Amino acid sequence: MRRIERLINLIAALLDTPRPMTAEEIRERIAGYDQPTHEAFRRAFERDKDSLRSMGIPIELRSTGAAGDLPDGYIIPKEKYYLPDLDLLPDELAALKLAAEAVLGGAGLAESGLMKLSIDAPSVEWSGPRVVWGTDVAAEQPVLGPLYSAVLDRTPIEFSYETADGASSRRVLEPYGLVHRGGHWYIVGRDAERDALRSFKVSRIRGRPTTLEGTYEIPEGFDPAERFAGEAWAIGDSDATAVTVRFDPSVRWWAEQNLDRDRTRDGPTGALDVDVDVVNEDAFISWLLGFGADVEVVAPDELRARVRDHLAPFTS
Amino acid sequence: MTTIENAGRVGRRLSRILLMLPYAIQHPGVTVGELARKFGVPKREVMEDLQLVFLCGLPGYGPGDLIDVWFDDDRVEVRMADYFAAPLRLTPSEALILYAGAEALVQLPGLEGADSLRGATEKLRRALGAGGVGVRVEHSPEAHLDALRDALEERRRVHLEYLSASRGSMTDRDVDPWGLVAALGRWYLVGFDHLSGEERMFRVDRIKSVSARDAVVEVPDDFDPERYRGAFVGDETQEHVTFEISPAAARWFEDYYPVATSAELDDGWRRVTLLSSGTRWAATLLLRLGADVRKVEPEAVMQEARTLAEEIARRAQEQAQQG
Repeated sequence: MRRIERLINLIAALLDTPRPMTAEEIRERIAGYDQPTHEAFRRAFERDKDSLRSMGIPIELRSTGAAGDLPDGYIIPKEKYYLPDLDLLPDELAALKLAAEAVLGGAGLAESGLMKLSIDAPSVEWSGPRVVWGTDVAAEQPVLGPLYSAVLDRTPIEFSYETADGASSRRVLEPYGLVHRGGHWYIVGRDAERDALRSFKVSRIRGRPTTLEGTYEIPEGFDPAERFAGEAWAIGDSDATAVTVRFDPSVRWWAEQNLDRDRTRDGPTGALDVDVDVVNEDAFISWLLGFGADVEVVAPDELRARVRDHLAPFTS
Repeated sequence: MTTIENAGRVGRRLSRILLMLPYAIQHPGVTVGELARKFGVPKREVMEDLQLVFLCGLPGYGPGDLIDVWFDDDRVEVRMADYFAAPLRLTPSEALILYAGAEALVQLPGLEGADSLRGATEKLRRALGAGGVGVRVEHSPEAHLDALRDALEERRRVHLEYLSASRGSMTDRDVDPWGLVAALGRWYLVGFDHLSGEERMFRVDRIKSVSARDAVVEVPDDFDPERYRGAFVGDETQEHVTFEISPAAARWFEDYYPVATSAELDDGWRRVTLLSSGTRWAATLLLRLGADVRKVEPEAVMQEARTLAEEIARRAQEQAQQG
């Protein structure tokens, strides 16, 4: 018998059984567990359990309810396996379909999720014109699933994290939420060892996180996005530097359209001066040079010198 | 022995079967062809899946315990598998991507159907558990999105004043808008650009003004936004640029730029090739890299970077003298 048949039999039996089945019952009764030794059976069964759990199938160990000496048994609780009825209205399903179709990448997850939600619904289509053709939420990273599980289940995790300078360290986190910003995912939570809120770039997490014992509460009203300022140069652990930049008249409209108006004022000869708080100077210099010669640092002098040094390889 | 890789293959197939069974049970008489289309696999694989299921069932494994699969010509009926009549709940990855996709879309000002979408995400949120879902997706709330949305809904050509990163200057151009794409935290307009005579992408935050023209736009049947993934570069003809970057820069560079090829060198630097849209765009990229870049080809890009750096230095000096 092929392994996939054995897995289907295992799911069917544990979903259908009225009471948990002990390992011995599983070995005797479910087709596919006819391994010659007890040891071989345990290995096969452990591996199957891991596979099903990694697919999100909830296999639980529970008391068999029998008085006396029967060991605990395994069951797939129906209320945890089956998709609850979300009561989606036809227009809600159609809108969700539109959103799922726009997702770029994602390894078919949007399609399979949507199919689950619409399995008994007649085929629905959004009738209006299609305006958004793609949303790239970069959600195909395999580590996002386990991170999100941890947020939903309030499970502390431990993972290996590589910082921007290449150093690697173990982190223990109580994850509060995920934020997608600037095309990248960040996980925000309480760093248990430092007892402080921290955010980590998901693409720098190495391997799969391991789940730890225990649970925690997310503070009431916590909004993961508030832990960030908008641009990459405003993110980080260091202190902020007050910086003034000057937008040339030709690109002044861009700053007026896209930056905080409260922090702008007229500069000389039609230019616009903007005050910003910079945490990451390297990221800031990179952002600044994206404008070519049309935006320059007015203050402080130290940062002006850093820009000059940065350009030295090209001006010698 | 089963390796991790083929456990992954088994897992994918099992996930498909656990979804195909409820679908077939809920739609008795569905054809193999419909199942193949719905699940994106060849008919042969659908048949293999159904023939496999047919051998499975409940302990006892007699005629009353096995899953029944009936074929009538091309039509399929699955019986004796009530426990597979409803699908498995959403996996965290499925929930996350649906939720994130909906969140991104809802941020488009004035989107038709936004209320329905909000209703749907609210129900998803409730189904996922107490305390909200803890996911935020942000795309910068840019000006002109509503004007572009109107033009798309009315299928009208637009005139744009656009700050071109490739040219480093303002451009005036007519564009036939095909659609908006949200990526890398920004909104992009995709369409046919009459200035270049080609299909192009525009970063919405760099649009200074939008005005609608009278011409009516047809979106091509084969328009596929998937094609633009990882290729979000400006609005000029693309060319290959090759250079070497330091180990420090290599750690983040490939997350942000459309690298075509990349190879590690003996001293830890990496040689990368990427598609650039114009010499000016590539020169700006070199300046951003500073001392973390070397050996640039073609030489014209390096030349442009020097010219630009000289101009920046000259301006800084002027400003220092004024100040």
